[in-house]
Amino acid sequence: MVQFIFYLFATVLIFAAVRVITVKNPVHAALHLVLAFFSMAAIWLLLEAEFLAIALVLVYVGAVMVLFLFVVMMLDINVATVSEGFTRYLSSGFLVGLLILLEMVAVVGSHHFGLKAMPAPTPMAADAVVNTVLLGNVLYTEYVYPFELAAIILLVAMVAAIALVMRPKRWSKYVKPEDQVVVKAQDRLTMVKMTAEKES
Amino acid sequence: MENIYLTIVLAPLIGAIIAGLFSVSRQTAHRITVTGVALSCLLSVYVFKLMVLDGAKPFDGAVYTWLASGNIQFEIGFLIDSLSAVMMVVVTFVSLMVHIYTIGYMADDEHIWPHDSLSAKNSYQRFFSYISLFTFSMLTLVMSNNFLQLFFGWEAVGLVSYLLIGFWFHRETAVYANLKAFLVNRVGDFGFLLGIAAIFLYFGNLHYADVFSNADALAHITIQILPNQEWSLMSVICILLFIGAMGKSAQVPLHVWLPDSMEGPTPISALIHAATMVTAGIFMVSRMSPLYELSETALSFILVIGALTALFMGFLGLVQNDIKRVVAYSTLSQLGYMTVALGASAYNAAIFHLMTHAFFKSLLFLGAGSVIIAMHHEQDMRKMGGLRKYLPITYWTSLIGSLALIGFPMFSGFFSKDAIIEAVHHAERAGAGFAYFAVVAGVFITALYSFRMFFLVFHGKERMDKHTREHLHEPANVVTWPLIALAVPSVVIGAIALGPMLYQGLFHNVIFIAEAHNPFPMAHYQGVWGFLIHGLTQWPFFLAMAGVATAATLYWRGFTHIPAQIQARLSWLHTLLVNKYGFDDFNEKVFAGGSRALGIFLWQVGDVKLIDNGMVNGSANTVGRIAQKIRHVQTGYLYHYAFAMIIGLLFLLGWFVHAA
Amino acid sequence: MNLANLHLLLPEIFVLSMACVILLVDAYWRKCLHGIAYQLSQATLVGALLFTAFISVKEPVIALSGTFVWDSMAKVLKLFIYVITFTVFLYSRQYLIDRNLFKGEFFVLGLFAMAGMMVMVSAHHFLTLYLGLELLSLSLYAMVAMHRDSAQASEAAMKYFVLGALASGMLLYGMSIIYGLTGSLDLTTIAGVIAENKIEPMLLKFGLVFILIGLAFKLGAVPFHMWLPDVYQGAPTAVTLFISSAPKLAAFAMLMRLLVEGLGSLNVDWQGMLLFLSVLSMALGNIVAIAQTNVKRMLAYSTISHVGFLLLGMLTAKEAGYAAAMFYTMVYTLMSLGAFGLLLLLSHAGFEAENLNDFKGLNRRQPWYALIMMIVVLSMAGVPPMLGFWAKWSVLSQVVAGGFMWLAVLAVLFSVIGAFYYLRIIKLMYFDAPTDNAPVLKPSADIHWALTLNGMVILVLGVLPESLMTVCRVALS
Repeated sequence: MVQFIFYLFATVLIFAAVRVITVKNPVHAALHLVLAFFSMAAIWLLLEAEFLAIALVLVYVGAVMVLFLFVVMMLDINVATVSEGFTRYLSSGFLVGLLILLEMVAVVGSHHFGLKAMPAPTPMAADAVVNTVLLGNVLYTEYVYPFELAAIILLVAMVAAIALVMRPKRWSKYVKPEDQVVVKAQDRLTMVKMTAEKES
Repeated sequence: MENIYLTIVLAPLIGAIIAGLFSVSRQTAHRITVTGVALSCLLSVYVFKLMVLDGAKPFDGAVYTWLASGNIQFEIGFLIDSLSAVMMVVVTFVSLMVHIYTIGYMADDEHIWPHDSLSAKNSYQRFFSYISLFTFSMLTLVMSNNFLQLFFGWEAVGLVSYLLIGFWFHRETAVYANLKAFLVNRVGDFGFLLGIAAIFLYFGNLHYADVFSNADALAHITIQILPNQEWSLMSVICILLFIGAMGKSAQVPLHVWLPDSMEGPTPISALIHAATMVTAGIFMVSRMSPLYELSETALSFILVIGALTALFMGFLGLVQNDIKRVVAYSTLSQLGYMTVALGASAYNAAIFHLMTHAFFKSLLFLGAGSVIIAMHHEQDMRKMGGLRKYLPITYWTSLIGSLALIGFPMFSGFFSKDAIIEAVHHAERAGAGFAYFAVVAGVFITALYSFRMFFLVFHGKERMDKHTREHLHEPANVVTWPLIALAVPSVVIGAIALGPMLYQGLFHNVIFIAEAHNPFPMAHYQGVWGFLIHGLTQWPFFLAMAGVATAATLYWRGFTHIPAQIQARLSWLHTLLVNKYGFDDFNEKVFAGGSRALGIFLWQVGDVKLIDNGMVNGSANTVGRIAQKIRHVQTGYLYHYAFAMIIGLLFLLGWFVHAA
Repeated sequence: MNLANLHLLLPEIFVLSMACVILLVDAYWRKCLHGIAYQLSQATLVGALLFTAFISVKEPVIALSGTFVWDSMAKVLKLFIYVITFTVFLYSRQYLIDRNLFKGEFFVLGLFAMAGMMVMVSAHHFLTLYLGLELLSLSLYAMVAMHRDSAQASEAAMKYFVLGALASGMLLYGMSIIYGLTGSLDLTTIAGVIAENKIEPMLLKFGLVFILIGLAFKLGAVPFHMWLPDVYQGAPTAVTLFISSAPKLAAFAMLMRLLVEGLGSLNVDWQGMLLFLSVLSMALGNIVAIAQTNVKRMLAYSTISHVGFLLLGMLTAKEAGYAAAMFYTMVYTLMSLGAFGLLLLLSHAGFEAENLNDFKGLNRRQPWYALIMMIVVLSMAGVPPMLGFWAKWSVLSQVVAGGFMWLAVLAVLFSVIGAFYYLRIIKLMYFDAPTDNAPVLKPSADIHWALTLNGMVILVLGVLPESLMTVCRVALS
């Protein structure tokens, strides 16, 4: 039963991930990404990582992707230009991608990470402390320093976003009396000395 | 104590930097440099008191590790003992006098420069900066405790000398002279550098104390430079180092630069080309006495070279008409005397003569400078004469200098020169006989040319033009005071230093003389009076007197028409002397001409054809073409960049994970 | 929770708190207290310097459950980073005012970036290393994009951001592989587990490759350098100055922490990879720089070649080699400060000095700055007695001692090629006539003296290089 669920979600995940980069409509791509996240969350649930699974759904599916969809819809990106050159680079891209895939599979494939090399994790006992509690325990004790750093990164992201986007400037043309008062003659008129030129 | 040593060295450097690099006024420039040098002079005297009078233990230590490479430390350090203390006092004292003198000598230097030349604006400050820098360089040289720093000081004084000889670089002759000085010194420096390299190779260290303590162990090693030729290592090292000294101390045949260096302003002729820099070679050989004592061959070589210089350079002084050139040739000859002393293992006598010579020769130079100022930069003695009544102070001080130079009894030169002659007499190595003849004959020549100059300048008919005569007067106090200050040691220093320096072991443990070679054993010491009386009964005294008398009859009163007749009769000899034995022509034709021809050949064939067209331009063009090609990889497209990274990943994975 | 040794974090805590304070002060009082953010930032740097200088701990201390380490390398690098950042802010001031960028955000983001560097320098844990790197990178992305009206800057920021994300993804992937294999994120534990030799080496190498790519990207080593020329050129020069200086020190620390402390037993593997990156960087950096006409772009390629040299010191896998690499990095930051500092100075309102031709005849117009630029450029080319010569010398002597004679020869050859474009600047400054009648600039006294000091340091330390070398040797022993 567990195996069936795993393969189901795994298939959906790979399908969705491929569609993200192959569909032409960006809205569809975003929706496929949502699907991929969702399947991923399901797989994580199978691994008894329920906190991560819920966080993925809540944060990425619920917040980030919705925002993405809004942005994509608002920008109204031209579908044709995005896919331009797709076929041109397809062959070389495909070749390199395939090679990387082969190289990676050779290492992280079943030879080293299969069930023989790495035995499957034993299911947790029913009365064991759940994943979320464990995470909570270490997050504020052992990992307090990384945790604070992560918080600062979020702060920086906020500062950066505001600094880059906020425009206190008014775009319409208007009169600035304070600038008019301090203006000097030199600002308006530049004397240029030129040598006399003869007509050839 | 280290701080005191550091201050001694750095005070002139700071002065030089401030005067040279910051746009200060003329007054500030000379004040700051004179203060710096005065400070180091005072401290040097203090160190001298500690080391020489109180007999403090020598100091040998590093103040800064410049660079460590493997196990070898290249350090900046000081070796302060009686030898360096004497040198420090001599250098800083003469330098201080020259600094003060320069205030007067360079007072209207800007008139010498071409009109509206930019360099004239700060030439005064620049000059002070240079001479202070020179003092710094010379002090690093004499206070060094290792070969690297010695070499630094060695090159630095060479550099400053180059700058100063060509100080008036609008004159073509000055530029020629400084180039010549630099090139000739390079020849010597090459030998010097090879010598240091040999020491480094065989001793594995550049620190004096370590080298000296291992010298005995390596004394009998022979090396093969040419196939099947076994040469003593010590002789090779010593001769190589001495080649450096030949360049710096102007020994035949590397002496050719010194007379030409008179193109520089007179104060530096006094400071650099008489009192200090040229003595660097003498100092270096004395410092290396533990090495030289191990090589009879090298000492004989030194003896012969010194004797040649002492005698033949003196002859040249007889035919010169430029007042400074006469003094220059006398310097060459006196340097020859010092070298002879070195060759005779009388290192202490060499240092003794170095010291007395520093005082009286700078006195003579500054006196000549004073005459030149009074004559409005006229240097030809044929246009002088009878200056005695116009320049009384210069007259008397020059007389003292000349008497000291010829070795008139009780003047400083008398003691030091007689000591050298005694030492050569006593020496038993190859070439000593010739050297003895040379130094004794040299006494007569010295007296003759010194007083020829003296009489031509200060006595006889007044041959200058009317305009000059009307303006003749003694130069300012800053010029005359240094003359007086230098005249005092020129008279007395010999008698004072005779005992301690030669007989009583002032340089004990500093200068090493094998017992068999020591020309001045303590047992022979009879006191100053004994030395004096002994000297009065010897050849040199009579020869000197004869020289003065000859000069007086030929150039002052009596047979003043005779020189012209001699010149006419012996015109071939005169020509030979005027042409300086043809050294310059030989160098000009063979070395300069040969190198030019070789250079042109290499330039036309090697450089232009092979290197420029083939390698440089060829490879440059290739590189340029490659560069133009590769820069197009940087397309500006983001996905190309990302793709490059992926390719990199692919490659790293493929090569290092799967292939290896 | 283990909060012992929390005082070792005082500098970090101070810098971060001050960054927040400056953010607030700037938001409320920027009108009435002009330039308050700048002054407070400089004060923060001085304060951090004092805090760091006064913490004296002899032995390395690992604190906060193994996420943080205090050792002499961290101390030296932090102190150096403060000084460099201080100078960067100082040099940038006039430039920012001229371009209406003299705002609190620049300095706040700068401080945050610097905090990221401090975290990286003191990291002893994959997590802190990664978070420090992200903190630094994120701040830098924003700083590059700061000049919003410049299309070039936005494009550069975009490229930097996307490629940076790719690289940091790879780094993270590599870290997770190593974590999966060793079961730990702590560098000491990882080193211990790997030393037991129970793990299949191929898997470790696999993780190593990804980690190395993350490092190579941050340093700008070929072929992960593509962002560097575009970002150097596109970013406002003040930001370029910042990116080109202090972060390189942090990247060096990251190399030390990850490769030496964490994966030290894999040195045979990363030696080969570094060799590959190093040779490519020296070759490409030096050759392509010749074809550039934009100074910022040229200096970017020069950076790439310097990175190649730095990696040479690392790949000897010996303590002396690391010391040489550290010395090289420090010297490089000093030279970079000088070069970009002069570019900043030559730029004025409405004019961006960034073409080689802008240097034409600089000696006639401003001889003093031409002299400083000459010192910097000669140092970059490795001409004695400038400091850059000793940097190259110390690296090369280690390479030779490590037995890579051919590599040293190759490095010297590339340096010779590199000398061409450095000397071209000198030729332009001293032998060409000025093209435009650019005004003679009178920078404020502090900038003038800082630049003078910058040049003098390169010259004076070049004559007396031993002190800085000793600092590096002691820091790593």
